[in-house]
Amino acid sequence: MAVPVDVIPRRPTLLFIVVLSLLFVLMSLSSRTRYVGETRTMFERTVMTIFSPVPKTVNWIGQTTADMYHGYLDMRRSVNENLALHRKVIELTTENLKLRQSEGDLKRLRNLLGYAEQFSMPTTMAQAIMLDTSSRFKAIIVDRGSNAGLQINDAVVNANGLIGRVVLTTKDMAKIQLIIDGNSSVGVLIERTRRQGILRGDGSGGAQLYDIPSLADVQPGDKVLTAGIDGIYPKGIPVGVIMKAEKGQDLFKNIAVRPSVDFSTIEEVLVLHTRKIPGEVVRYTP
Amino acid sequence: MRWLRFTIGLLIALTLHSLLDSFYPNALAFFNPYLILVVYYSMGGNLVGAIFAGIAAGLVQDAYSMSIFGLHAFSLTVIGYVVAYINARLVLRGTLMFGACLFGSVIVNELVIFVLVNILLKQRIEMFEQAMIVKAIFTSLFGMLVYQLLTLFLREEPIEATRRPAY
Repeated sequence: MAVPVDVIPRRPTLLFIVVLSLLFVLMSLSSRTRYVGETRTMFERTVMTIFSPVPKTVNWIGQTTADMYHGYLDMRRSVNENLALHRKVIELTTENLKLRQSEGDLKRLRNLLGYAEQFSMPTTMAQAIMLDTSSRFKAIIVDRGSNAGLQINDAVVNANGLIGRVVLTTKDMAKIQLIIDGNSSVGVLIERTRRQGILRGDGSGGAQLYDIPSLADVQPGDKVLTAGIDGIYPKGIPVGVIMKAEKGQDLFKNIAVRPSVDFSTIEEVLVLHTRKIPGEVVRYTP
Repeated sequence: MRWLRFTIGLLIALTLHSLLDSFYPNALAFFNPYLILVVYYSMGGNLVGAIFAGIAAGLVQDAYSMSIFGLHAFSLTVIGYVVAYINARLVLRGTLMFGACLFGSVIVNELVIFVLVNILLKQRIEMFEQAMIVKAIFTSLFGMLVYQLLTLFLREEPIEATRRPAY
């Protein structure tokens, strides 16, 4: 470009007029082609082609920057969304666990409630708060006491069967002796044959059925129910199932009973306010 | 060196044009980077250089705006010539003078375009004086800012950097 500048320096006015004339012709041509329908002359296209890298680059940079910005925004949104979803998952998992727990509780309580409706006597529901089955004395402590109407010798059951009896009460707690306790005795009968006997805990998680004659018809699998003859336990509560019945050394059989209640999983219990036999009636001898 | 600077300036003007077109399509109605370039170059007082600067800048502007091809080339050539002619005789220097030149140039540019369009398209178009004043103010302010920046980065006075007497 420096050459023409140096070549034409002396008559710039003439150059100016010539240039303007040429440009005017160019404009006329351009305005005419527009009427014909062509929007660009060849000269115009040439200028555009020469300088096209600039708008293309600007456009590319703009597009890339916009893409990066939107990508960054999308990523931020995704990260936030991911965090929110994580929180939601934790919340839902916790809620699910609670609901599962509630469902289990509901099922147990429904069973217990249905079981309680079988009894005509008043009942109180209690929660086991302490379980002691490690020593020979097998007991649980519940969160209801004399204020809730619990009395000594009230029978305690759950949906599976007999648990034991109240042996000690305070205002808001009570101690329950389990039927597997070594000092526990329950009057029972075998459901199939109606043969009565006495169930005693063996102190080691099981129970033995006593006073069943050697000739009695007893078979493993026979169900054992409360007989209702001991003045404590109402009749008909499931106690357990006979596991083993062998002939003993004397006139009675050795019978092992598996309790129907799993004492290690006790949660809610039902206390039956059984009708007590007055002492004078018990002590009276005709 | 002067033409290299002009070429770089033209590329920057085209970049600005493209950027503004992408983000604010109407921005060039209020601001003309090509005019700033031509006026800046023409203030060196080189008449021939100013004519070619006007043609080059005008043709690029025409190519990337949907106007009649050659319209801005014509008007910028006129402006370049007039500014260079004045500066060849009166030595105008400084940011304020540059701003004043730009202001006047915008007015002349708009008037030339108005006349040319009326002649070429054979139809009467409206003259928007307020828009013209706004464009003159914005272009002058932006041009003065550019001039100040050039003062900071160039070792010599910015106009001297383009100066090459025609005679």
